[in-house]
Amino acid sequence: MTDLAIVTEKLTRRFGALTAVDTVDLRVRSGQFFGFLGPNGAGKSTTIKMLTGLLAPTSGRMQLLGLDFSSHTVAVKRQIGVVPEGMGLFERLTGAEYLNFVGRMYGLDHATTLQRTRELLEFMQLADRPKSMIADYSHGMQKKLALAAAVIHGPRILFLDEPFEGVDALAAGALKALLGRMTARGVTIFLTSHVLEIVERLCSHVGIIHQGKLVAQGSIEELRAGVAGKEGSKTTLEQIFLSIVGQSGTERAQIEELSWLT
Amino acid sequence: MADVAQPVGIVKQIGLIAGLRWRMLHNNLRRKQNRLDLIGLIVVGLLAGVVVIGFCIALFAGTYEFVSSDRTTWLGLFFWAIFLWWQLFPIVAAGFGASFDFRGLLRLPLSFGAFYVIGLAYGLADFTGMAAVFWLIAIVLGAAAAKLSLLPPMILVTVLFVMFNVAVERLVGSWVERVLAQRRSRELFFAGFILLVVLLQLIGPLADRYGDSAGPWLVSLLPYFGYFPASLAGRAVGSASAGDYRAFLLGAAGIACYAAFFGGLLWLRFAAQFRGEELSETPAPERAIRDPINREAPADALGLLSPEVAAMVRKEFRYLLRNGFAAVLLLLPPALVFTLISQSSLLQFMGSKGISPELFFPGLMAYIVLILMTPAYNSFAYENAGVQTYFTAPLRFRDVFLGKNFVQVCLIVTELTLCIAAFCYRVGLPSAPIFLAALAAIIFTVVGQLSIANWSSLSFPRKLAFGQVHGQRQSRMAVLIAFAAQILLFGISSLVLGLGRWTGDRWLPAKAFVLLAAAAIGGYVSSLDALTSYAEKKKENLIEALCR
Repeated sequence: MTDLAIVTEKLTRRFGALTAVDTVDLRVRSGQFFGFLGPNGAGKSTTIKMLTGLLAPTSGRMQLLGLDFSSHTVAVKRQIGVVPEGMGLFERLTGAEYLNFVGRMYGLDHATTLQRTRELLEFMQLADRPKSMIADYSHGMQKKLALAAAVIHGPRILFLDEPFEGVDALAAGALKALLGRMTARGVTIFLTSHVLEIVERLCSHVGIIHQGKLVAQGSIEELRAGVAGKEGSKTTLEQIFLSIVGQSGTERAQIEELSWLT
Repeated sequence: MADVAQPVGIVKQIGLIAGLRWRMLHNNLRRKQNRLDLIGLIVVGLLAGVVVIGFCIALFAGTYEFVSSDRTTWLGLFFWAIFLWWQLFPIVAAGFGASFDFRGLLRLPLSFGAFYVIGLAYGLADFTGMAAVFWLIAIVLGAAAAKLSLLPPMILVTVLFVMFNVAVERLVGSWVERVLAQRRSRELFFAGFILLVVLLQLIGPLADRYGDSAGPWLVSLLPYFGYFPASLAGRAVGSASAGDYRAFLLGAAGIACYAAFFGGLLWLRFAAQFRGEELSETPAPERAIRDPINREAPADALGLLSPEVAAMVRKEFRYLLRNGFAAVLLLLPPALVFTLISQSSLLQFMGSKGISPELFFPGLMAYIVLILMTPAYNSFAYENAGVQTYFTAPLRFRDVFLGKNFVQVCLIVTELTLCIAAFCYRVGLPSAPIFLAALAAIIFTVVGQLSIANWSSLSFPRKLAFGQVHGQRQSRMAVLIAFAAQILLFGISSLVLGLGRWTGDRWLPAKAFVLLAAAAIGGYVSSLDALTSYAEKKKENLIEALCR
């Protein structure tokens, strides 16, 4: 059994003339909490969509848990959980109905699905609105429900696209603790977030994608070692990120031009 | 210090919104899917155009005849017909409506006046409104051709009549949406609707029992209809034709009062929307309910189905029951069938013409199938972002279709059973050859359509808003495919029935339909795997269309 949970080889996705993801070679080990970073439009969501079966690659290969994704699609999907961009909820179901639906879709038996639904709704603090449609949930509640749906079948890899966006501090703390326990049990978590502090606190490893290319990959310590910080101060992930992705002088000049705002 | 934006005039605001809509339409055409949709729209538009033009010619000729023969007040009948069309057709065919996305507009510093005018303008931008306006123009032209001096009064009356109809249609649509948005009121609405359907069944027997004595009473009610806008319009034009301008102005003022009254009510509705009224499933946050956790899981009632298909079936049933407007539409076909077969006069008429009432049976069954199968051609319409689950979950897409089709078939079987029972009660059981031929033909047309509808749902998906009356524009290509498939399958069925009559073999249609049904089932089963591969190919298109 391989130690690598996610492997991509020259993973590429083109949309017409635009190459959104360009020959990306990812390596994520089992049990890693992996943060996938990049500026807006860098190719993060496209990569995560390909890794979760929502988008077909133009070329390249993907292996998840040692299985080739294209030839073992259903077997791979059975072992992964996803919180996709936009959450992918059926808004006219109640929270419990939705979790029951997803549990059954992932092949859980009826009794187990009901049991896990109750436990997850309790854990996510969603059990007190049993008759509310998901459409009437707040954004944060929907996010928690999407997370609950992603873990109901006990996945071995969890893909989370901006999982803490809109989630209150109380729930976010509980979720972080849960995710930490999951990685301790060998679950691999692949997370994208724009909040670098969260990634720095949670993730042991990161990958940085810029203009479709994977420009850095490794543990935060390894990346830190590659970036010279001020003497005596610890380089933050934000500094690492900015030094790798950079910010062009033109953009700064344009910002200074917006005198009418100040 | 930041600049402060200058207020923009109402005309400028409307112009900006119109420009925005045009730019959105233009940009949409960059996508292949939308270009195909436009082609579909043009073809459907041409077909609808033929119908509209046909009625235009008929109304022109009718108006010319009425005015020429000095029966101008009879134009009131045309105004009544247009009024009923304008107010009832949007409920039957909401898919033709144009959307008025007021929530999107509220982000902008739009004045309420501009908001109101845009809301009204959308009432004229849908098929129903446009067709009605064309017909009214035909009436105006017909009157002018017969008597040129009638042109100015006709224009005034028609403009007022249009204003009245737009205001009523927008008002009714807005209230229906508001009522159907909440689960509790939706349930009450359903209960009322079912009660109405039951009461409709009493019309036939009541007419038989009291028809003769009620006739004069009903005739005595007719004058009261004279105070409604359509009759007022007819009378006003008649008065103008007779040179009685005082009566004409009185009639026009009456229509203007109606328009102002409903315009005022609409003003109040739009004002509520402008203030930020949010339609919601639940009227207010529920109180916290702490149910003791029941460790005993109940048995799965759908245990015979695979877990994936059972999950789909449950989800589809829930979506169907919660989508008020779609559910109401499902109740309409049996309601119409019950109403038709409860008419003794119709059955007597058929008997007098030597038509066996049992021939009515296949026609009714075909009608039910025709109406109920149409939504299957865009079966992912209400999934929205949830459609992603079908691609992230470890399932084969055939399970998704099996679940959806199972619910569809259950629905058709239920409605057909009710209709067959009602038919047998009123008319009697059809002869065995007709009955079996009709049943086999139903299996053939339903199963045959399911394969095509599944393919169409993947190829031409279009997102529809849940429980809304307006703004529900179906995928035009899906509509075209549905038309083509239904024409093909019903054409084959008619051919088979014709062959039976021609050869004189009463059992031939039943035998032929059994063979066709078996072939359709075989085709359906073999299509499932092909559709699973096809879904994989079309997933980006599907997700993009539904998650946008």
